[in-house]
Amino acid sequence: MEILATFFNVGLVVATIRTTTPILLVALGGSFTTKAGIFNIGLEGQMLIAAFFAVIGSIWTGSSFGGMLIGVAAALAFALVYAVLVVSFRANEVVVGLALNILAGGMTISLMKAIFGTRGSVVGRGIVGLPKVQLPGARDILGPSYAQLISGYTPLVYVAFLSVPLLVLFYARTRLGLYLRVVGEKPEAAETLGISIARVRYIASLLCGLFAGLAGAHMSLGYITMFTENMSSGRGFMAVAILIFSAGDPLKVLLGCLLFGFADAFSLRLQILNFPSYLILAVPYAVALLALFALSWRTRPKLIRETLETMRNALAGKPQDSGGKLPSDNRP
Amino acid sequence: MDIAVKLQGITKRFDAFTANDRIDLSVRRGEIHAIIGENGAGKTTLMNVLFGLLQPDEGTISVNGKPLVVTSPAVAIAEGLGMVHQHFKLVPSLTVADNIFLGMEIRKRGLIDRKAQIEQARTLSRKFGLNVDPAERVAGLSVGIEQRIEILKVLARNARIIILDEPTAVLTPQESRDLFATLRSFVEDGMTVIFISHHLEEVMAVSDTITVLRDGRVVATRGKSELSKRELVRMMVGRDVSFDRRPRSPGSGRAVLSVSDLWARDDRRLPALKAVNLSVSAGEIVGIAGVAGNGQTELAEVLSGLRPASHGSALLHGKELLEHSPAEIRARGLAHVPGDRLARGVDGNATLSANMLMGRQRKQPYSRRGLIDWRAVDRETKALMQRFDIRARGPRDLASSLSGGNIQKVVLAREFTAGGDFLLIDQPTRGVDIGAQEAIHSEIMRQRADDKAILLISTQLDELAALADRILVMFEGRIMGEIDGAAMDEESIGLMMAGIDPVAAAEV
Repeated sequence: MEILATFFNVGLVVATIRTTTPILLVALGGSFTTKAGIFNIGLEGQMLIAAFFAVIGSIWTGSSFGGMLIGVAAALAFALVYAVLVVSFRANEVVVGLALNILAGGMTISLMKAIFGTRGSVVGRGIVGLPKVQLPGARDILGPSYAQLISGYTPLVYVAFLSVPLLVLFYARTRLGLYLRVVGEKPEAAETLGISIARVRYIASLLCGLFAGLAGAHMSLGYITMFTENMSSGRGFMAVAILIFSAGDPLKVLLGCLLFGFADAFSLRLQILNFPSYLILAVPYAVALLALFALSWRTRPKLIRETLETMRNALAGKPQDSGGKLPSDNRP
Repeated sequence: MDIAVKLQGITKRFDAFTANDRIDLSVRRGEIHAIIGENGAGKTTLMNVLFGLLQPDEGTISVNGKPLVVTSPAVAIAEGLGMVHQHFKLVPSLTVADNIFLGMEIRKRGLIDRKAQIEQARTLSRKFGLNVDPAERVAGLSVGIEQRIEILKVLARNARIIILDEPTAVLTPQESRDLFATLRSFVEDGMTVIFISHHLEEVMAVSDTITVLRDGRVVATRGKSELSKRELVRMMVGRDVSFDRRPRSPGSGRAVLSVSDLWARDDRRLPALKAVNLSVSAGEIVGIAGVAGNGQTELAEVLSGLRPASHGSALLHGKELLEHSPAEIRARGLAHVPGDRLARGVDGNATLSANMLMGRQRKQPYSRRGLIDWRAVDRETKALMQRFDIRARGPRDLASSLSGGNIQKVVLAREFTAGGDFLLIDQPTRGVDIGAQEAIHSEIMRQRADDKAILLISTQLDELAALADRILVMFEGRIMGEIDGAAMDEESIGLMMAGIDPVAAAEV
């Protein structure tokens, strides 16, 4: 029991919330493009470039807020390039997304070398991290040990979690949200009703860039204030996986991200037990993938289900479903 | 006379193809005006021009007596026009009311006011007798209801002139009857309905005035009472049938295909083939005539293994071919020239050689030790190009770069040299120029002389008259009757194509 208590405690919940935030932000961003019918694989790159420029921005401006803005601007620039290529020039979205991801990876490395003269990571050098928000009164209501559940996070944590209900409202009740869904689901309908598909998709791409930028800023200015090579470490891709399974639905996105965040936080704790670190680093990804697989099992394609059913029937020696082959079936 | 819509000299070209050729059309207010014609006659193009989805190359449009340049659907909608497209444009995950008000949402404080939308949709649906539940999601609703929603969408935008493109194509007979009753009530309200169709029955049943289009031209506009079904068929199918019959000698008469009591359903799960019986012997061309959409496509698909039959049998060389895969049927002697050559005949993005190889990729000399010998394939392709007069630069040209007639020759070349002795040929000369038509006909006759059994499906009577030994006429999935190809008379074929038994008609 002793050991369980060191694992499962308030600290784990707090850590989960913290680790969920960047992936939640980037996945919510991806929800805009997913809903608008764009398979946006470029989330990883947008997040990474934002993380880098947030660091640079915070050094230049001397403020974490300024850093965040510059990080977001960088992600928006990537999102704009993506939209121009994919929406206006109808380039393949996967190819463009991958290309921009690779560009982001290479660009951050060479800029790091050019600006800071180092490889690997940028630490210190006047990077200003995001402040922690102490909610007044939290300590009084919840007591000192539970107050950390709601208080003391960086502002972007609140932004991420508050965005979930806002996005639910956005898709359900606003005109733009409705148009995003229509453009993704039935572009012909949008077209005949005079809704510009291109414009809606541009807006979706840029909103995505905004959120991916916040996710990147949170990574490099949030709980650790540094930039390391490839520091998004596949979170953008995990977000893509979550988006595929959630179809961009904000609540399902939240669930998927919490799962990933929990596995991430949990794996950090596992390090206490001296497991090999490469195994531990794989835990969140493995858990998330398994869970997503389990979730999708219920909605697995009809074809597979029917095939399995037929095979079972055949093995049991049951007659095949005659599916409308009765002679009388067709007669008027 | 009160004219709601007037089109004058409308011409619309797509590259070299003229879809609408100087079309004049006047639609009176308060009438149901049917525009009838075969597939590809230019009906939909004309309506898209009227609705602003396409811009005419020539001609003028006036609506309610006012000349109008319809640059976009928005202009048409503002003038009180509304169009219900053939393929519905509804968003499945949204509710009925959301779909109706999409693009003109009712909002309160910036947010969409669902309650008001549902309320208004309900009022609208009651007013026009189009029964729908506005709060329901569209996904899972029947096509009949989806169509009602499409009509409500148009009505919500205050349309007084309603265009329906093939409205009954997806409906069951019962749903069609309901639709016609609704349309009737519209015109009684003083609205105007234009509807496009290629079904004689319903046109005769519901319209006041009928305009027949053929090959992009207006053949005639008449009041319904001045027309008989037979005249309609003749005007639609048109093109004076030339009895330029190909000379022939009798074939061996060995039975190859025999189909008995064959039933099948179409994509909507409605019966498309009803108790079809037919047989084809070696050295014989059996023609299938009929207005497009009367089960011919389904017949071809069933016989080639692409569509399951619901009942019946089809014996090829005495062995059942139903329930077998297309590859197995081919192995037993089927050669298939599909009706839609670009969808099923060739792969447009592949080279001529690759297209020729399809189906014989495992055979000598094209494949050796499991590897394809492209040089041998190219050589054979070149030989076939010569023999079938396929005009292309070489075997490595992409199929899509060829003209329609040449693509069709590629299909014929592959199928006719595959060694099959039962040829299923569907619309071999659709959209093919006269020269290529001649060549294709000659090749089909050559196959007949080689004692192949040929089932030729065509909507062109002159083609059947020239080639077929016997002609079977299909109407609504049934074989209406059989006519000797040499003694073909347009009169009785026309009657059968309209679903009238000529013998019974003569007795009356």
